[in-house]
Amino acid sequence: MEPIWFKPDLAEQIIKTDDLFDQTQSIVTDIVSGRLDLTCLTENMAGTLTNKDAECRERGMKFFTKILKEIPKDYLSEMQIKFISKFYVDRLKDNHRVIPSVLEGYLAIVDMRNYNVQYSGEYFTILFREVACQSQVRQDRYNIYLTIQKILDMDVQYTQSLGPDFVYGFISSMDGERDPRNLLYLFNFLPKFLNKVPLGHLVEEMFEVISCYYPIDFHPSPNDPAAVSRNELAAALCPCLCAVPEFAEHCLLLLIEKLDSSLRVAKIDSLMLLAESCKTFKPQSYGPFLKALWSSIQREISHKTDEEIKLAAHEALSALVAKLSTAADTDQSFENLIKGILISMQTAVAEASTVVQFVQVTKTLLTAANASKQSCEIITKSMIPAVIAYYEFKTSPKLQIASLDFLGDLYDMADHWAVVELIEKQVDEIPQLCLNAVSVPSKEYQLAGFKTLIRVMRALKTDLVLPFVEILMYNVQHSLDDELLGVSVQTIHAISRKYPELMMSLVVQGKCDINNLTADKTALQKRLNLLSNLASIDDFTKIIIEEMLKAITTNDEDASKVVQALNTSISNTSLYSEDKVAQIESDHGLIESILAWLLKEIKTSTQDSLDNGCTLISNTISSLPVEKQLKVLSRHTNEILGQWKIDDTYFQVLECLYRSVNQGVYNAHFEELLSLALNLSLNSESAVVRLKACYMVAHFLNKVDSGQKFELLYEILKNYLSSCGREDEDFCPRLINLYGWITKALVLRGSDLFQFWLNKIVIAISNPECSKAASESIRTIMTDTSNCLSSRQHCRSSLLYKQRMFQAFTNMSEKIGPPGPDKEAYYLSWAYVLEKTPKTVLNNEISKIVPLAIDALEYDNKDLLTVMIDLLIHFVQGKNAIVTDSLQTILPRMINLTTYTKSMDVRIKSLQCIYELANGCPTRALLPHKQCTLLALAPALDDRKRLARHAAVRARTRWFLVGAPGEDKQD
Amino acid sequence: MTKIADNVNPDVYDKGSEREVTTNERNEDIVDEFDQREVFDLIRNINDPEHPLTLEELRVVEEKNILVDNDKNVVNVYFTPTIPHCSMATLIGLSIRVQLLRALPSRFKVTVEVSEGTHVSEHAVNKQLADKERVAAALENNNLVQIINQCVVNS
Repeated sequence: MEPIWFKPDLAEQIIKTDDLFDQTQSIVTDIVSGRLDLTCLTENMAGTLTNKDAECRERGMKFFTKILKEIPKDYLSEMQIKFISKFYVDRLKDNHRVIPSVLEGYLAIVDMRNYNVQYSGEYFTILFREVACQSQVRQDRYNIYLTIQKILDMDVQYTQSLGPDFVYGFISSMDGERDPRNLLYLFNFLPKFLNKVPLGHLVEEMFEVISCYYPIDFHPSPNDPAAVSRNELAAALCPCLCAVPEFAEHCLLLLIEKLDSSLRVAKIDSLMLLAESCKTFKPQSYGPFLKALWSSIQREISHKTDEEIKLAAHEALSALVAKLSTAADTDQSFENLIKGILISMQTAVAEASTVVQFVQVTKTLLTAANASKQSCEIITKSMIPAVIAYYEFKTSPKLQIASLDFLGDLYDMADHWAVVELIEKQVDEIPQLCLNAVSVPSKEYQLAGFKTLIRVMRALKTDLVLPFVEILMYNVQHSLDDELLGVSVQTIHAISRKYPELMMSLVVQGKCDINNLTADKTALQKRLNLLSNLASIDDFTKIIIEEMLKAITTNDEDASKVVQALNTSISNTSLYSEDKVAQIESDHGLIESILAWLLKEIKTSTQDSLDNGCTLISNTISSLPVEKQLKVLSRHTNEILGQWKIDDTYFQVLECLYRSVNQGVYNAHFEELLSLALNLSLNSESAVVRLKACYMVAHFLNKVDSGQKFELLYEILKNYLSSCGREDEDFCPRLINLYGWITKALVLRGSDLFQFWLNKIVIAISNPECSKAASESIRTIMTDTSNCLSSRQHCRSSLLYKQRMFQAFTNMSEKIGPPGPDKEAYYLSWAYVLEKTPKTVLNNEISKIVPLAIDALEYDNKDLLTVMIDLLIHFVQGKNAIVTDSLQTILPRMINLTTYTKSMDVRIKSLQCIYELANGCPTRALLPHKQCTLLALAPALDDRKRLARHAAVRARTRWFLVGAPGEDKQD
Repeated sequence: MTKIADNVNPDVYDKGSEREVTTNERNEDIVDEFDQREVFDLIRNINDPEHPLTLEELRVVEEKNILVDNDKNVVNVYFTPTIPHCSMATLIGLSIRVQLLRALPSRFKVTVEVSEGTHVSEHAVNKQLADKERVAAALENNNLVQIINQCVVNS
């Protein structure tokens, strides 16, 4: 039987039942397949579309709209669409019940491929005349806006040709819109509309309609699942208000008015609007308002407490200055503004009596200067002399130091905008001022002076170099303060880059007397440090390095000092790039000389200087390309391999050669070396050699290529360990220590094999004989060391390895369970693991960790206590309920620890924890303990160490406030 | 509070830097004695009852006006009201006293007085601050305790 839509009864059916609405998809299929003609369908529906009863017409239109929405967009021909469109336009005049379907249906028509934009003119005319947009429901209003947007997207020219009537229609239809979602949509659409459609005489009307929302004051309903926030609306409204230059006058008037309001959001919105408006408005439009704008901005910028307003004011100022500077050549207003800023800020600078005030003013000036090249020139030109004069008459040290910083900032700014040449005269004064500052024998002045000098280095003239060098060299040789020493060396470095020849004669050959390097013994180490630092400058490299190497090879006494200086500098990668190190090695044979020295000195010199030599070699190798590394290895390995049999100290040299090779570097010696290292790590009598042997095992395991080579080395390792059983009490700790290094190498490699070794360590924790060694191994695994398994040694380092260790350790120790009576090593291992695991991971395991930490407080072990108290502090700060629940246990234990005699760190941390408890726990839980805590904290006030007393005061005064009037706390 | 502050626009000074931790203080074996600076650190951050400023920023308390004698267990603090007719002088003195009571070991005998010649009713204020019973009575007044607690909350 034919479906109903082939028959004229269709109309009646639509009116009667809802079932047909579910079958529209089949109708559409019939239409598309050609079985049903659209005209035929319309004829069948005639009864309902032209019914006298409005309700029936509504149903008919609904049904038809539904079909239109479901029919493929490219199916209908232009002619068909034309008729349907005409029909829909006509329907706009119908009863209000019908309108929603008409709006929805027309939206579907507009989307069709063959829709001709010409039809829309008529639609809009009738729409704006017949339908009062704001009397429709939310969705229908939205449909109207959407239709307008679609037409605009389709044909801008046509939309423009619709003229002022169309614009007026649009204005009146959105006038009074109050739904936040629709508003958000409109605000997003409006800038596009305003930019494309000329407003003509309707500018003011349009602005009125938009500006009535400004500033947005809106609080979303708390039940709204997808609420629109005030900030979203405000951010969307802002570009509408300044979408076209025609709005300028209205907009600026509005925002100046709102800037003066007392409402905080109004101020912030206005400042943001001002910044945004600079993107579209013409510079000239700001002219009449500049005075008012600057005075408002100045008021907000000097706000004392509200950082957000301050930031917004800075942004607005920066945008405004940048905008005006674009018309600097034609318009006087830019200069007037900058002059206004300068006048008021110079007064403020002169009046500033504290650093805070001074910094605030200078920040404003820097913002204005940073906005454009022109402003930067004017401001730096007048501010640099002003600040120099200011320095002379303000005698407060802090203000003088702050003004030195400010000069540096100004210079950087001028440099950034490339206006240094234009203000050369002013800039030239700065180094002289720096010299005055560093001539004061005070650390703060010298630091500030040198730091500023480094920044303005290019302005330094030759005549000032000598006085600076005098002071600097005095500092380098005599200063005991590390910071000052570091900055002095940096300054010499910076001057040397500018005047290499001058400094060569003054410093390298003069003060440091490079040709008789070791003749003067006083402060030799410090001079060497300076020289090795300077050697990183290309002009000095050759002379200095050659002299230093000569000193190493010929002079026995001081060679170790030279090596130490070289090592410190070359380890600093910001001074010596990899290329530089590689170049020094190839030009001067660094490794060769150091190695010769090491082999000569190995018997007699101290462990520290040996270590320096070894680190220097390994760092140098680390910087070489792979082929060169292989060459160095093959040249030296055999020679040293022969020697270690006589004395195993030689192994250290061997280890440092192999320490920093790249991943995948492999030669024939590797297998032999691994066996040797394994043997030494367990059997050598020297602790250092055992440690270095462990390093080597770890490095080999970590860096060897996966696959065959790794398997081979791993096999050697396992075979050796299974055959090497020895029965004495030294052996077990050494073995467990080695396990630690193996585990670390494997876990860093990202290999799952580490679990096997970790398991052995965890089992050892419960064994009283070697529990200590086991916890030490855990520490080894978790702690980063700079000269083993770090990126400098080209080691693999898998992401999140600490988390993996934490997970694995937790699982294993749960399986094995806590050991017998003496649990100290067990807790200590936990402490090492927990200390290094990221806190975010721990937060998920609070219920496991907190009891553990509380139990551990009973043990008398400094490391253990520090870590566990730290953890508890972290959880207390996080306001976790579990801490409050165990307050009764934590508090007495902590109070007990405030008198822990062995370590003040433990005392300080426990006091800190007690302080945090008062902050983190609810008052009702704390009150029962208040009196006894206050009493118990009294002895800590008289602690022998000042730092502990300080912590005690903090904790005790905080506890006095618990539950007292005036306490600032919400539970 | 409708009352306007006694001194509406006081001079504001810079804050001193934090005390630097010396190596001796890190050394477990050396005993650190109480000194002027330590007592000053206890009271420098007390808030002024009228302004959102600390006593240090207003130079009401200064390091040089503090006397500490470790062996005799004596601490004397002299404070300087910003203007001679400041009605808050007693309250400021009380705040300093309370803070020191809470933060110094009980072996010290603490005296808090107005610096000589800096206040019109200097003797009356000193007498009030020295009277233990009046101090104790003041601390039973909840309103007063609230104001004092708000003053000392950051120190």
